Amino acid sequence: MRLRWCVLPVIIWSVFLPGCDTRPGERPSPRVDLIYWPAPNPQELSLADTLVRLWNRMHPDVFVLMQPIPVSQSTEEVLLAAIAGKTTPDVCSNIWPGALEEYTRAGGLVTLDRFADFDSVVGARVPPDLLKQFRSPDGHFHQIPWKTNPVMMFYNARLLREAGVVSVPRTYGEFLAAGAKVSRDTSGEGQIDVWMGERDIRPIWWQRLFDFYPFYIAASGGRTLFDGESVAFQNEYAEAVLAFFRECYRRRLFPHTFFQGGDPFLLERKATHFAGPFEIAELRQSAPHVEYGVAPLPVPDGHRGPVYTYGDFKNIAIFSTTEHPREAWEFVKFLLRPEHDLLLLEICNQIPLRLDITKDSLFTDYFLRNPWMAVFAEQAPRTRGVDPIPDLKEILDALSQAYEASAVYGEITPAEAAQMAADRARSILEWNR
Amino acid sequence: MTGTLLTRIRGRDRGSYLLISPYLVFFGAFVAYPLIFSLILLFHRWNIVTPMEWVGARNFIRVAADGLFYKSVLNTVLFLLIHIPLQVVVAIGFAMMLNARVWGRGFFRAVYFFPVVVSGVAVTILWQQVYANDYGILNTLLQAAGLPAVPWITDPSIAMPSIAIMATWKNVGIYIVLFLAGLQSIPADLYEAASIDGATPLQRFWRITLPMLNPTVSVIVILSTIGGFSLFIEPYVLTGGGPMQSTLSAMLYIYNQAFYFSHMGYAATLGVVYALVILTVVLIQRKVIERETGL
Repeated sequence: MRLRWCVLPVIIWSVFLPGCDTRPGERPSPRVDLIYWPAPNPQELSLADTLVRLWNRMHPDVFVLMQPIPVSQSTEEVLLAAIAGKTTPDVCSNIWPGALEEYTRAGGLVTLDRFADFDSVVGARVPPDLLKQFRSPDGHFHQIPWKTNPVMMFYNARLLREAGVVSVPRTYGEFLAAGAKVSRDTSGEGQIDVWMGERDIRPIWWQRLFDFYPFYIAASGGRTLFDGESVAFQNEYAEAVLAFFRECYRRRLFPHTFFQGGDPFLLERKATHFAGPFEIAELRQSAPHVEYGVAPLPVPDGHRGPVYTYGDFKNIAIFSTTEHPREAWEFVKFLLRPEHDLLLLEICNQIPLRLDITKDSLFTDYFLRNPWMAVFAEQAPRTRGVDPIPDLKEILDALSQAYEASAVYGEITPAEAAQMAADRARSILEWNR
Repeated sequence: MTGTLLTRIRGRDRGSYLLISPYLVFFGAFVAYPLIFSLILLFHRWNIVTPMEWVGARNFIRVAADGLFYKSVLNTVLFLLIHIPLQVVVAIGFAMMLNARVWGRGFFRAVYFFPVVVSGVAVTILWQQVYANDYGILNTLLQAAGLPAVPWITDPSIAMPSIAIMATWKNVGIYIVLFLAGLQSIPADLYEAASIDGATPLQRFWRITLPMLNPTVSVIVILSTIGGFSLFIEPYVLTGGGPMQSTLSAMLYIYNQAFYFSHMGYAATLGVVYALVILTVVLIQRKVIERETGL
């Protein structure tokens, strides 16, 4: 009996005391928990792991849990599903600007320029002419530019040299002339086994971000597909790009097939490859024997001025499901520190979107050790993103169909293809308005 | 009336309703609810994340003007026109072979069903290696024989027949089983009588086997038609709908609209229109079969 009277207060205390440890007005718990989703590739996971460990050591009151973005066909699908299910993380660093409009329309993102120090943080890091690309149509910023992967031309120096090509092609004419020497049957089996280039010929919308679109930006001196909400790609630049790829296929410099047995550039079955700096990590890891170089994308003969390209930006955003926007913003600022940008270079081989990165002494040693990364870093200020247009994927799909019909199969002229894609894009905009 | 029904549910039938309740829950969640929801979607624009927006008949107006949808339906019909006769002929051929006393019959009876049980994606990836232009198995064999390479999946006029061949290889096992059952149900005395009358093997096939298999052929044609209208995995994995949209099937187009472009309302409308197309074709097919075979 006595024992029962002793146990009862213990039970009452253990049940009720945990809920009574704060007084009104006090913080219920000293620790804030944040969830952070980085891109699910091994390099970025390694970077995220390093940074999150560092943050958690320095900020015991704000714990960040790093989780890779769940695997799916694309990050955009996952994020849309997460927004629909209200299961978004607090912070994500794999935001493609082309999908941002959908997230914003769904009310999924926090407006970042509401933070008092947004202008100073972003202004110190991002070149002003690049920054304006990331402003949403509502005039606010829902993303902070983080990194870029400018699409440039990788070339296999050995294959070019063995074919008798003495200088890296800079124009369409030079590329086609070099291709005539490079694309050939080297084994004597009656089939071309080394190609000047190769692109996935399937009409997959995002593939155009690595051929037609960067070439269009380069040929047009930095134009994008839209002028405001109007279609702006039915012009001589689009036709020139389509005509160039059409020649590549017609002259059999590119194969009418797609490879399944591995990246043909790593396998030294093609002499050029259009990609971002992430390809360097792949080359180092999977094909260290390949003697490669990097050059700007070829442009139409007679092109004047700098060569622009597609930046393939990936940015950081805070989702509106967060209960701790201020702490999430502090974590975002932590990710953007100069020393962490150096880690982004070292671990991921991706270019931080940072003003004068090639002149900053913090990065000098890295670029001395990685001269090809310096080429990408120098290209970074001359990059363009995608237009903040809803239904951009569907419009890129329309472009893919036109590209395939004109460039790959030569069934319609470049002018007809540009017209076809522009008409379809206008219809898509009209349908979805 | 209602009182009687409730009394019955409360009474001795309660156990029965309890027993069918798992199916009712399944039916409600995965059939009735999606069906009703897709009917609502017909008149809305919805991209999953934003609230639904009423658009009236706009989705239907868009279907009427969408040339790509018509093209995808025609592509699917072309696929059916190649796939169904091919499937019937190949299935009958193999069924007769497996029904006859030939060497290795036991082995063939075991292996012909393998492709049916292998995942469609795995089969398609396998055929990618068979059809590849520059390094594929077929073209390597052709070139070794001194013949030119064939652009199996990169020529717009050949790609859909290539997919039909692959789909036949994948699905023919099921139809072989049906034909085999049909063949084994033909009375042996019919063949004996025909042999006594001096009928050749070809005559026996045309006059006995084929007419007796008519009901099986009808079932297979209807099943293949319905299955063929849902053509999706093969073009999705093998060609992405290309070249030049020549393998863009209606299902692939609807899938793209729904899950690539997040146009759920429009995709639901396409789905309903397409279901009506399938219904019309199957009804016509049934009428023709009834008239031709008297079934």
